[in-house]
Amino acid sequence: MSASVERNGAGTVDRAARRPVLRAALPPIRVFWPALALGMLASGSAVALLATSSWLIARAAEQPPILFLGFAIVGVRAFALGRAVFRYLERLVSHDAAFRVLGTVRVSVFRRLLPVAPDGLNGVRRGDLLTALVRDVDALQDLPLRVLQPMVTALVVSGLAVVGVWWISPAAGLTVLVGLAITTAAAATVMAALSRDADARIAPLRGQLADAVIEYLTRWETLRAFGADAERRERVVALDAQLRNAQTRQSAAAGSVAALFTLGAGATLLAVLVVTDPVLASGSITAPVFALLVLVPLAVFELVAVLPAALSAWWRVRASADRIAAIVPSSPPSELPTVSSSPAVVPEGPLALRLRGVTARWPGESRRALGPVDLDLAPGDRLVIEGSSGAGKTTLAHVLVRFLDHRGEYLLGGVDVRTMHPDDVRRHVVLCEQSPHLFDESIRQNLLFAHDTATDDELLGVLDRVGLGEWCRARGGLDAPVGERGRLVSGGEAQRIALARALLTEAPVLVLDEPTANVDPDRAESLLDELLGAAAAPDRAIVVISHTPVADRLATSRLHLAAPRE
Amino acid sequence: MTITRLGQPIIATAVSIVVRASTQAVLDALAVRGAAIVKSQLRGRVIDAVDAGGQSLLGGTSSARVATLLGQGLDAMDGYIGRYLPQLILTAVATPLIVTALLLADLVTGITVIITLPIIPVFMALIGMATQAVQRRQWQQLGALAQGFHEVVQGLSTLMVFGRHHRQTDRIAEVTEGYRRRTMSVLRLSFVSGFTLELAASLSVALVAVSVGIRLINGDIGLALGLFVLVLVPEAYLPLRQVGTQFHAASEGIAAADDVLDLLETAPPAASVGHSLTVTTRRPSTTDRSTVAPAPGSAVEPHPKPALSLRELTVRRGERLIIDRLSGEWMPGTVLAVTGPSGAGKTSLLGAVLGLVDAEGEIELDATPVAAADRASRIAWSGQRPDLTGGTLDSIVALGAARVDSALVSRSLQWAAADDVPRDTELGAAGEGLSGGQAQRVALARAYYRAVERSSRVVLLDEPTSALDAETEARVIDGVRALADDGRLVVVVTHRRSVMAAADAVLALAAPCELPAPDSDSVGTESQPLDIGRGRR
Repeated sequence: MSASVERNGAGTVDRAARRPVLRAALPPIRVFWPALALGMLASGSAVALLATSSWLIARAAEQPPILFLGFAIVGVRAFALGRAVFRYLERLVSHDAAFRVLGTVRVSVFRRLLPVAPDGLNGVRRGDLLTALVRDVDALQDLPLRVLQPMVTALVVSGLAVVGVWWISPAAGLTVLVGLAITTAAAATVMAALSRDADARIAPLRGQLADAVIEYLTRWETLRAFGADAERRERVVALDAQLRNAQTRQSAAAGSVAALFTLGAGATLLAVLVVTDPVLASGSITAPVFALLVLVPLAVFELVAVLPAALSAWWRVRASADRIAAIVPSSPPSELPTVSSSPAVVPEGPLALRLRGVTARWPGESRRALGPVDLDLAPGDRLVIEGSSGAGKTTLAHVLVRFLDHRGEYLLGGVDVRTMHPDDVRRHVVLCEQSPHLFDESIRQNLLFAHDTATDDELLGVLDRVGLGEWCRARGGLDAPVGERGRLVSGGEAQRIALARALLTEAPVLVLDEPTANVDPDRAESLLDELLGAAAAPDRAIVVISHTPVADRLATSRLHLAAPRE
Repeated sequence: MTITRLGQPIIATAVSIVVRASTQAVLDALAVRGAAIVKSQLRGRVIDAVDAGGQSLLGGTSSARVATLLGQGLDAMDGYIGRYLPQLILTAVATPLIVTALLLADLVTGITVIITLPIIPVFMALIGMATQAVQRRQWQQLGALAQGFHEVVQGLSTLMVFGRHHRQTDRIAEVTEGYRRRTMSVLRLSFVSGFTLELAASLSVALVAVSVGIRLINGDIGLALGLFVLVLVPEAYLPLRQVGTQFHAASEGIAAADDVLDLLETAPPAASVGHSLTVTTRRPSTTDRSTVAPAPGSAVEPHPKPALSLRELTVRRGERLIIDRLSGEWMPGTVLAVTGPSGAGKTSLLGAVLGLVDAEGEIELDATPVAAADRASRIAWSGQRPDLTGGTLDSIVALGAARVDSALVSRSLQWAAADDVPRDTELGAAGEGLSGGQAQRVALARAYYRAVERSSRVVLLDEPTSALDAETEARVIDGVRALADDGRLVVVVTHRRSVMAAADAVLALAAPCELPAPDSDSVGTESQPLDIGRGRR
């Protein structure tokens, strides 16, 4: 999971690649200034509350007429209320801004995905990578919420407080400034030395432990049968101990950083006391002001104590940005089709395919994955492609629908596909994927997105053709849900829905990639029979890639794909 | 001057600062460490339960559920064990101490605090009751909305196939906007409780401060006492406020802990597998070769003893009868094909022979009864799913071997027609990274490696060619033949006619859907004990 991304990505990403990702996660100032302003008001109120109340108490002890204290009493009440109200508003506004940013970040990463998807993503042949990518994109919303805002608020408000103290007594102001600087620097050093290393280890360790546990649980039978269960269990225990170790280290670091701030606050308080005492004695400040000067540093340190958390949030955000930059290249690799400026139009009506000496390779892989392949396909043909795994069957399917670019000649209706827009090619050559994605919606929505003007009768008609008519009616019709990632349908039903989708487009060329890959072995042959029977039409050309034997009556020709030659 | 005048209080303050800082550090460290230890223990106990409960926990969805629970589920307990519980204990200890100190120092303030302190939990409870139901409902809706972007990214290639990818940017923006609106309406409520806590504490402090101030003006109390009280009062509210803040994070952890404990409690009898099929055996449709002697020219000397004997083998899953009193003997040198529709108990039969599935009756290897726990070490097996583990190709093929015999790995890969998989392949966790056909052939190579390394006389293969094309299948069938001719019994569960044709004997299991209830006696009497194979009986 995340561990492998780290392995692939960490060293290779440079600042230049990270920057555009981070910039997309920055909210425009007009969205974000209310949150910043409210945060400063809330923190400012906290400092002012302590200042006015300590002045008030000290002044009251001098027993002046209560009239002289009215202003301070109102101030204490106002700041107490203000702190709570501003904090509440700030949390609302900043979360709102962060969610708005999330929208922009998602759209910007998606825009970046489009030209390289699906085959240009680094390491995308690993299924869980996309899940990790989504998590990283969502982690970027921490940049304004947990990095920028606390940092800016803490620096501005504590800066103002220092200026205020300085104005009353330069010696006290300098002392507070030095105290803050030393404490923050010490905390950052401790974090960089102890916690950063542990932080960096924890995420991969957590991933490895999860992987090891999942492997142990899902492979339990195999491990037991091969007598390897004890050894794997020890691995789980060892990883668990390593993770615990790293977490303990991290918490020790966090604890020492918190302690540092407490120590710093206390030391600064004492230092201000010692430094300001002669000033008090000289009579240039009054006793209530003295009380204020001594106590305000406490509130300032409380503000600055959020900086370590903001710093580690920044490290996390940066790591996420690096991973996104590593997975989604900013420009499409050369193995992907390019779009010409004035694309040729794909001829309408039945289409013939012609491939001569076609080869292809996957982005980032040095080995050729396909070919050379020659094939001819006329309308009405049903070509069965066989070959051992690794011969490039799926690669051929991706070349046919222009997910991957190729070398050699590939003509569609007599026209070179390179001159056409890949989207346009895919409107005429439709792929039924090995693992078709079903969206967590109703059956109707899962069909409609292939052909959004289709009527219910047309949808039910096509479901009947692929043998799902009864199945759909038994579930209460087109509104029945398919579940998250098609959880509520079996592998065979998913393939039938995928074929129904493809048939709805009425494309003249259909490519079926291993339709029986996720189906029970004893149902595979009958499913393939039915799928091909439903898809066959006199003006439609069909390419079916299958390891399950295809009956002779359903195939008009066969092509055996040999392992690629260089 | 200052130092001489204030020497003692300054030292006292310095000491108390150091004590406070160090206890704080130790508290944080200990709390997180405690959480980590508890998580380790729970993880270990769940794995123990899986070991003990075996396949009852490992039925399809439950293993995924267990894995999720052990990962994210347990991490949710950090908030509960690491923060909430320590804070709760701290509150129970510190709050009475501070209140007592206040009472001793200044009775009026002490009483004020005692009266106002309960406001916080009462507010919390009231707000909690008012918002909980709404919040839970909204969080559930949010779960669905949060999926939106994930779905678009996961289904991107499908969207591209149908040319729908360009309009997804609008959809993402729309879904995220919906997510924002709903989340904000939840947060507006969630933050109210924080707001109330802060307000209650602020106002209580203000109440005390004003009374202290007035009494100071009147000269009722001195400045020292006034400051002492005023600094201490917020500390009296602080622990309780933090309990409130940690509560939300904690509730997630409590739910996770409940799930884990539920799992541990229900683990052993959780065998309610939903199969409605049971099995009986019928006289099999034997092939021509099943009754003939070993093929002439075969290198095998007929072994005097059957490699595998079953007597009245019965497998139940929960209440259901999967295999009913199956008997038979098979000699080494035999390829036995096991067929039958889904749910007929083919895989359960292999599991029982291997000792992974509980079974009644006797199972003998080389005419000697062997305890279930010891059988796996004498049998080579390849399951229906490849179930590859992670690591280098060599370590995967040589799974369970003390050391890797590189030459044997090469032979195994060649035997299983898996020699096209590059030798330097390294697989991700749970064996990710190979195509379905490649994974199946590597799993076969793994079984071959074990059969040769351990000199196993029984080899069980479950659907070994289901993902292979005809040509590769032919190679595998030849390999199976050779393995049997080497003096082994090879049991192959299969649907493929080509595999059945190559077998010496076929054992056909029937799915008894048409039969009466599995626990009725008639099933047992109707079913016929099986007697097939070219061995003696």
